[in-house]
Amino acid sequence: MGAALLLTGAAVTGLRGQAPTTFVVESPTMTTGRFMPRDYSPDGRNLSPPLTWSGLPAGTRQVAVISQDFGAGRPPPWVHWIIYNIPGDAGGLPEGIPFDPDHPMPAEIAGAVQGNNGWGLPAYRGPAPPLGSVHNYHFAVFALDEALDLPPGLDRGELLLAIEGHVIGQGDMVPLYERQPMNQFPR
Amino acid sequence: MTDSKGRLPAISRRDLLRTAGAAGAAALVPDAVTAATEETPSTAAAGERQLGTALPSETGPLLTRALANLTARETEILSAMVDRLIPSDELGPGALDAGVLRFIDRVLSESGTNAADAYRSGLAALDTYSRYTRGGPFIDLSTVDQDSVLIDVQIGAATGAGVGFVGGSGSFFNMVKSHTWQGMFGDPEYGGNVNFVGWDLLDYPGVRLGVSPEDQRALEADQLEPVRRSAYDYGIFE
Amino acid sequence: MTTQLRGTDVVIVGMGAAGGVAALPLAEAGLNVVGLEAGTWLDQRDFAPDEIRNNYRDWPMLVKKTEQERPTSRATSATRANQIGGHPMMNAVGGTTLHYWAQSWRLNPWDFRVVTETTQRYGASRIPRGSTVEDWPFEYDELEPYYDRVEREVGISGQAGNVRGRINSRGNRFEGPRERDFPMPPLRWTGFHDRMADAARSLGWNPFPGPAAVNSQAYQNRPGCGYHGFCNKGGCPINAKNATHITTIPRAVDTGNLKVVTRAHVTTLEVDSDGRVTGVNYVVGSNEYFQPARVVLVASYTYENVRMLLLSKSRAYPDGLSNNQGQVGRHYFSHHQGAGVSAFFPYDLNSWYGLPAQGVAVDDWADDNFDHADLDFIGGGNLWVMSDRRPISAANMGTYGQSRNWGSTWKRFIHEHSDRTHGSYIQKTTLPYEDNYLDLDPEVTDPLGLPVIRITGQFKDNERAIAGFMQDKMEDWYREAGAIEVNRGGLGNTMGASTHAYGGTRMGDNPETNVVDRWGFSHEAPNLGVLGASVMGTSGARNPTLTSQALSWRTAAHLVESWGDIAE
Repeated sequence: MGAALLLTGAAVTGLRGQAPTTFVVESPTMTTGRFMPRDYSPDGRNLSPPLTWSGLPAGTRQVAVISQDFGAGRPPPWVHWIIYNIPGDAGGLPEGIPFDPDHPMPAEIAGAVQGNNGWGLPAYRGPAPPLGSVHNYHFAVFALDEALDLPPGLDRGELLLAIEGHVIGQGDMVPLYERQPMNQFPR
Repeated sequence: MTDSKGRLPAISRRDLLRTAGAAGAAALVPDAVTAATEETPSTAAAGERQLGTALPSETGPLLTRALANLTARETEILSAMVDRLIPSDELGPGALDAGVLRFIDRVLSESGTNAADAYRSGLAALDTYSRYTRGGPFIDLSTVDQDSVLIDVQIGAATGAGVGFVGGSGSFFNMVKSHTWQGMFGDPEYGGNVNFVGWDLLDYPGVRLGVSPEDQRALEADQLEPVRRSAYDYGIFE
Repeated sequence: MTTQLRGTDVVIVGMGAAGGVAALPLAEAGLNVVGLEAGTWLDQRDFAPDEIRNNYRDWPMLVKKTEQERPTSRATSATRANQIGGHPMMNAVGGTTLHYWAQSWRLNPWDFRVVTETTQRYGASRIPRGSTVEDWPFEYDELEPYYDRVEREVGISGQAGNVRGRINSRGNRFEGPRERDFPMPPLRWTGFHDRMADAARSLGWNPFPGPAAVNSQAYQNRPGCGYHGFCNKGGCPINAKNATHITTIPRAVDTGNLKVVTRAHVTTLEVDSDGRVTGVNYVVGSNEYFQPARVVLVASYTYENVRMLLLSKSRAYPDGLSNNQGQVGRHYFSHHQGAGVSAFFPYDLNSWYGLPAQGVAVDDWADDNFDHADLDFIGGGNLWVMSDRRPISAANMGTYGQSRNWGSTWKRFIHEHSDRTHGSYIQKTTLPYEDNYLDLDPEVTDPLGLPVIRITGQFKDNERAIAGFMQDKMEDWYREAGAIEVNRGGLGNTMGASTHAYGGTRMGDNPETNVVDRWGFSHEAPNLGVLGASVMGTSGARNPTLTSQALSWRTAAHLVESWGDIAE
């Protein structure tokens, strides 16, 4: 998926107007083009999924991540997760980032904060597409040249505006999800 | 065991069962409730309507009798949910201490079958959703998982799971939250806001029929003593 | 079987704000008046300061006729009408004045002459396209003596800004000239009001205390306001809120000439072959009555006034009483556009005690008080900061992104911030339009099988432009006073049922575009009068009550003077 598609409607330029470099984003439990496990959705435990990234450009100081569904929302995309102020050397996000502000961030991403998703919650909330439809979930990762230390609670538009001119690298992965009708008995 | 105001410490029923150990728990829990927790969800709907079952006192002197409109099992689930909405914590008493369950029970008695049915189907769906997505009955989940479940119920994400939320999981959540807020922060006449714990949480200085300029100045100087009276304690209203 | 009652001089349908005022001059003049009221008498014992009952269980009413005839509403004739929400009004002796907010404003002079003033200042093309607005058939000066009279009879507290041309900056410098001061000084201000007033002055505006139908001190043997905090949708337990059931109605009853009949549900009006009204039909429970009268005044609020006329079909009036020109239901408009503003402050507002009528007003942005040459709308709004907070609604405040709205984090949030939010709804100029009207719903009926009112109405470009402009001003004001977050509602779309509903039986000289004449009597049925906001052709940045009461007094006084002509 190209950066242009990821950032539909938002022009994000890097340092001195240069196009950002791309890097690899992966996950131990998800793959682009394959269905993600249901524990990352409200059909399961609704945990935030783990991500790993590598090959970020030199000079990366902080990282921001948006999880969004361009097949939902009026207008699209529907935002599932916003997290930023991630230390530049973090290498990824562990599974299960807390949704409660009283619970601290994992040590490896100390300082990270969450913005407001489509439901107005500063948390990850996973896919809940209509029964019978397959949706794509874009995890967009931005490498920033500065430790912007943005305030918590920004929505997607505010975040993109704030990182404008600071994006020196971008990576993404796009797993899928489809809801299953529930099993009649407890698991 | 009771504090200076005569209340038991704020512990949840679930904690009570855990710390007491299986045998101890059985001693505290009447047979009807034990039987209820062993049922499978597919037979829950068949309705073991064992009203009037006595429940142990859990968070205070309030729940010494069963709710008139919900079964013991339904009451357990509702209690756990309400406990997460406004928990008892270091800041002070929460919804269970305030008598919100008693408030809701009175609402159901006055409102008739539609409201009671909405509670029953919603609580059953909540429990089914918990089992299917988080791997256990709602009352057995950790508080983190309970909160996660309730967030998904609130935002309507639990609706598509096919667990039986009538009209959407969000409307069930809003109904319970609305009643919980009224029970926590409304006039104690209705059975909630016990000992004015709800009004104290807000620092609401209480129901007065007249507020003089001196009272208002005292309020603005943080010096106005709260009045702890129900509107109906004034003896002039019907 | 219908019981035929003995005839009376005047029947007033509805003993609320408007009917309750008209009864007094008529009874004092010696006319026999029957006041038919669908509700009952209520008193202080019914008015507990109880937020659950008042604000969450929709208030005690022994007869709730209004709930069973809720209007449907739709944006345009191309969409389907739905019944949404409860009916905002109540039935009782005193009507909705029993629990209303009691803000009690006069219209400004501009409101009586919108067409002429706009044309002269900006050109006729600035009248919004599609609007059917007309100048009133008289100006502010004509109504001034009636405003004065009602302010004294009902009891309005406030601070005059213009007494016979002399401006007093403690009052509203933009108001129309008054003969004399209010009968009582204004309600007091809280520290937060003082702060907002200072902020308004810093912005170069002119803040002043708002007028209220609430005693600021002992008046007519009733005490001054207790500021207890349950005035919003609550009755007053000490009779300091000046509803008509404790002011004009008992004085009219005391003359011996007013008989109030409660639980009387009026259905239709009867006419004779000459098209004159002969009386009204009403039911009490399952008993039917016909009350003959020489003159009938309908005063059952905007929706019911229109409905009653449309339901009263006859050979003389096949499309409804007084509707041969097709104007009944036309030129309808309302407030409650929803375009409010709320703010979050870093300090306590100390608002637990107070009432919606206690507040700071700014009229600098109302009507034509500012230059519209470079703007794309006419009219404006009144900015109003009141003191009104109760526990359950405080606990339901938005969290401004700081927390989800339940749980431990929320509990800490509300403990800290329960007294730190403020909301304003901003009354604005709304105009009548060709497309906005009332008629009978083709499907939905009340328990008697009679169709309810259907509202077809949309806030148009002019209203939406005013809304955005006023939101900017309100935000400026909040931030000047230290607000750290400000939220705005949408600019408004479909008109729902409102407590500020105007038009439908508009007053004007032209019988082709108005239902009643300049005195409030039907152009077609000369012994039918209409009282209430349904006769108003513009709203100003004002709620309608005091103006509808002044008009009622004027209509009643005219009836007394012209009794021979009108009653024949």
